[in-house]
Amino acid sequence: MTEYALQLNDVTKRFGAVTALESVSLSVKPNEVVGIIGENGAGKSTLLKVLAGIYQPDSGEIVIGGKKQKVNGPRHAGKLGIGVVHQEQSLVPSITVTENLNLGFEGNVGRWGLYRWSKLRAETRSFLSRVSSTVDPDARTDSLSFAERQMVEIAKSLKAVAGAPGSPVIVLDEPTSVLERDDIAVLQKEVEALREIGSVIFVSHRLDEVLDFCDRVYVMRGGQVVAERETEGVAEEELYRLMVGRDASGLHYMEDQQLEPQDEAVLQVTGLTSPGAFEGVNLTVHAGEVAAIVGTNASGREEVARAIFGLHGYTAGEIKIKGEVLKPGNPRTAISRGVGYVPAERKVEGIIAGMSIGQNLAMIFSRAIAFGPFQSPRRRRELSNAWIDRLHIRPADPNADIGALSGGNQQKVAFARWMVEPDVRVLILDHPTRGLDPGAQQDIYAHIREACESGVAVLVLGDTLQECIGLAHKVLVMRDGMVTALFDAPRTHKPTPLDLIKEMV
Amino acid sequence: MATTHHVAAPAAERTKKAEGVTANSSTIGPIVTLLVLIVVFTVINPRFVSLENIQTVLYQAAIPLILSVGATLVILIGGIDLSIEGVMAAGALTFVLLSPNNINDSDFGVMAIGGALLVGALLGGLNGFAHVRLKIPSFMSSLGVWYIGLGIASMLYDQSTPRLSESANIAWASGTIFGISNSFFIALGVIILGVVVSRWTRFGRYAYAIGGDEAVVRLTPINIGRYKIAIFVVAGACAAFAGVLGSIRLGVGVPAVGTGQLFTTISAVVLGGTLLSGGRGGMLHSLIGVMVIVVLANGLVLSGVSPYVQQAVQGLVVIAAVGIAGWKQRSILRIVK
Amino acid sequence: MTRVIERTSAGQSAASAWKKKLSLRPVVPFGMLVILVAITAIIQPSFFTAASVNVLIEGSALIAILALGQMFVLLVGGIDLSSAAVGTFTAVLFAKVVEPLGPSSVVVVLVAATVIGGVNGWLVAYLQIPSFIVTLGSLAFWQAAALILSDATTLSVFGAGYDLVGWITGQKIGPFTPSVWLTVVLALVSWLMLRYTKLGQSLIAVGLNERAALLAGLQTRWMKILAFALSGLFSGFAGLTVVSGSFSAGPGQIDALLLPAIAAAIIGGCSLTGGIANPLNVLIGSLVLVVLRMVPTAIGLDARSQQIIYGVTVIAAVVATIDRSKIPILK
Repeated sequence: MTEYALQLNDVTKRFGAVTALESVSLSVKPNEVVGIIGENGAGKSTLLKVLAGIYQPDSGEIVIGGKKQKVNGPRHAGKLGIGVVHQEQSLVPSITVTENLNLGFEGNVGRWGLYRWSKLRAETRSFLSRVSSTVDPDARTDSLSFAERQMVEIAKSLKAVAGAPGSPVIVLDEPTSVLERDDIAVLQKEVEALREIGSVIFVSHRLDEVLDFCDRVYVMRGGQVVAERETEGVAEEELYRLMVGRDASGLHYMEDQQLEPQDEAVLQVTGLTSPGAFEGVNLTVHAGEVAAIVGTNASGREEVARAIFGLHGYTAGEIKIKGEVLKPGNPRTAISRGVGYVPAERKVEGIIAGMSIGQNLAMIFSRAIAFGPFQSPRRRRELSNAWIDRLHIRPADPNADIGALSGGNQQKVAFARWMVEPDVRVLILDHPTRGLDPGAQQDIYAHIREACESGVAVLVLGDTLQECIGLAHKVLVMRDGMVTALFDAPRTHKPTPLDLIKEMV
Repeated sequence: MATTHHVAAPAAERTKKAEGVTANSSTIGPIVTLLVLIVVFTVINPRFVSLENIQTVLYQAAIPLILSVGATLVILIGGIDLSIEGVMAAGALTFVLLSPNNINDSDFGVMAIGGALLVGALLGGLNGFAHVRLKIPSFMSSLGVWYIGLGIASMLYDQSTPRLSESANIAWASGTIFGISNSFFIALGVIILGVVVSRWTRFGRYAYAIGGDEAVVRLTPINIGRYKIAIFVVAGACAAFAGVLGSIRLGVGVPAVGTGQLFTTISAVVLGGTLLSGGRGGMLHSLIGVMVIVVLANGLVLSGVSPYVQQAVQGLVVIAAVGIAGWKQRSILRIVK
Repeated sequence: MTRVIERTSAGQSAASAWKKKLSLRPVVPFGMLVILVAITAIIQPSFFTAASVNVLIEGSALIAILALGQMFVLLVGGIDLSSAAVGTFTAVLFAKVVEPLGPSSVVVVLVAATVIGGVNGWLVAYLQIPSFIVTLGSLAFWQAAALILSDATTLSVFGAGYDLVGWITGQKIGPFTPSVWLTVVLALVSWLMLRYTKLGQSLIAVGLNERAALLAGLQTRWMKILAFALSGLFSGFAGLTVVSGSFSAGPGQIDALLLPAIAAAIIGGCSLTGGIANPLNVLIGSLVLVVLRMVPTAIGLDARSQQIIYGVTVIAAVVATIDRSKIPILK
């Protein structure tokens, strides 16, 4: 009789120079619900991928039902008894629930490939009932609500672990991030039902929900498990502190270069509402000021940023640039009014791979290289060389295909494009330093400071709380589409990440 | 070559069931269109609903119905098959040359049909292979196979056009029951077979799954490539069979037997409600779509409209059908190529 | 805080992959031409006299003009199946209006062809209908329109009207008829436009990454309309050239050139997913197609195998040049 259903002992996972998981140890008893909480970047998703066998640990062991195991992939994980329900749904919308549940595993289909529908339906019903779901097996998957589809996903994971020896472990990855209040109650019932069958690992950043659902909780930070607590009687304050840890040095964010903002309110957002994304958002950013918006998944901050740039619609509210209303529409309108946007998905939206550094730099404000009705290759070269120098872009070749550059260098170009002419008055940065090494990050921060000096109003959606606090003059906190707090962050009196987290989760 | 993502349907569409014909706009629309057309054309010329004309309409619908079965399968997995006319040509010539004809001495009886189907299946297999293994977009591979099929058909005869002899076994196709051409009933049979396959067999259901979200299906042990190639093979066989029927009707084997069928078929499938992006629609949808197209063409003729105007109208109808189907998904961020 | 940082090893292999792709492309069309010519020359040396080479090049002009038009559409990631039909329509329209309108008829038909292309582009860009559907329907429509306008007969063009376009295939300039020079000029202008104007660079950007181009403030929808309009314009040139060459305008003169034109553009290095196009290579691609047309007869194969050869060539050309990394899920 083994004591634990699942154990991780000293699991470490590195990607090149980055350690995503460091000596992570945790254990799950049968019929237990264990929570894992942590900020973005704490290592939760890497941990899940290791559990699902998508990544192999560099060191340490995975022990399932008392036996050391190597998990070769999601299907193998299922055979061993680990079923992961991911955040992004893996159901085909246009087929029935029965088909989705059994996709690829329809079993014996008889002559001519005719399905044994009644058998498949019965099996589907049995798995659905285990999570007390009343979803109709014949319903087409895209006719279900998000919560109902989640139930199907959980039932699917139960099927994946059916037949595994020992007590199965179902992992739920951020299951509540898009659920309504009522649906969360339903989910709770499901988790209780799962507890009868095996164990549950509940990964989330929503502290209050984790405490509601789980018996025990592990806190992750920086790739490590920093604490383990019983949820009964634990103080939330303590968990927040554990999640956030000590403050990083402010020097990295060049706080010493944070200047006083000017008086002019360049960006004014009032009552911005887009049902399902954000509601009643108010925000003012002055010339030379950096405003940061923090929030977790589904906070709505990315949508607000995109709405200002014309990529996301809104049904109510108003955006003013330098006192004049900016009509919603498309990026072109926003750019003509002086709004710039550096997107989070650099490869898909930020740069044009297949064109050179020079071509990318001159893409937005092409008059910088205009020569009558033409474009001057010489001026493009000069422009590129100037910016390659200023931003230490490598390789230092204006004709190099931007697709061949490292992520950090690509991001520098994505950023520099907006600064080629002084048109930009509002610069929106969506996760600007994501995936960059500290050196590249500093280069970006330096240029943010420079932009402020020339009177640009900056709105930044930072990767980490420290980054937002360090960079910004003020920090807005958003949760579930609404602004829940506004913190002043003057150089002398910065809020702590702890202060922010309380409003975020 | 659209790249769109499906989002969850709003609550209003919750009553969907996959097996029945669903009660939503993509089903009602074509049926209503069909009824409207019938009414309008009857008003313009009451002969439209005469027994004789109904027989004509059904006769004209037979070949497009057969073609639509193969085309629907291909479009369900998100591809497109432009090779129909070429494969029809190759199948037609094969059939005629294997049946009693004026060029050679062959008389393979029923096997002549088999030969034609084999040729169609091989061309379909080439199409599928080029698409799946050589990884080129299906419209490109089928464009190539279209010309290859036409070329094969041209090369199968020398100087004179092969003509089916008196003794050729064609009664099964050219006969009538209650005045309605046998070929219509055969086509109906093919459609029913198509419905059975698409609703109750693994082959059909996987087509829906692959077309619905291939990325998800990749996570399963399903061999996507094999099913895709199989679908193109079936489509090729359907086209070849249509070529057989076409050559029986003409009495000769000519590469031009399939001229114009490409527009008709694609318009019909798209009009019927099968989405070009894949995963939705089906055989019954295409049945309605074919009837709309055939009724439209027939009605225009009866109204005295020149065949060229008909073609122009068909061109507009295809564009309009796809445009309306995709209307709700228009967005500045949607990339359509 | 840990972050996922892109692995540098992946970055290096991406760099070498890019280098490979960028350097292979321009070589393919020229290489194919050389190989084909070599094969033919070895099997049938008498094939390549000065006169026959001349005929070859002059024969490629029509395909080249259509291929250049197709190039613009391919550049933004679409396809124009109607280009040949629009060419036919232009020819028929010219035959009809040249008497009443005189010299301005040339401008009128070219404008009409451009507008037709623009409408195609609008349907793709604003109504978001896939280009192969729009141009398939357009093909049917304009083919029918040409038949209606011409009453399904071939219209003769002669006299003063003919002189407006007769020069295209008339008096030679140097070794070739003006049609060849016209094609070269069109290719050169296209090349200049793509490389040295904002318009050209925008077209390329839209083809390579439409989303990023949108976020950079480019008018992506207008760029698409422009690409299709240019295809229409070039179809117009093709139509006028045909009238010049055959003293007439009628159905079927250009229709058969659709597939060869597409093949020529692809062999000429145009990427099906967009963003890569070299007008000068498209010219070479057109030569390849014309040589391909003559190869069967030259080496003793049946002339009717031409269609099969076209079909196989198109597939082979796409296989050789397609960039699969751009298409995660192929449809």
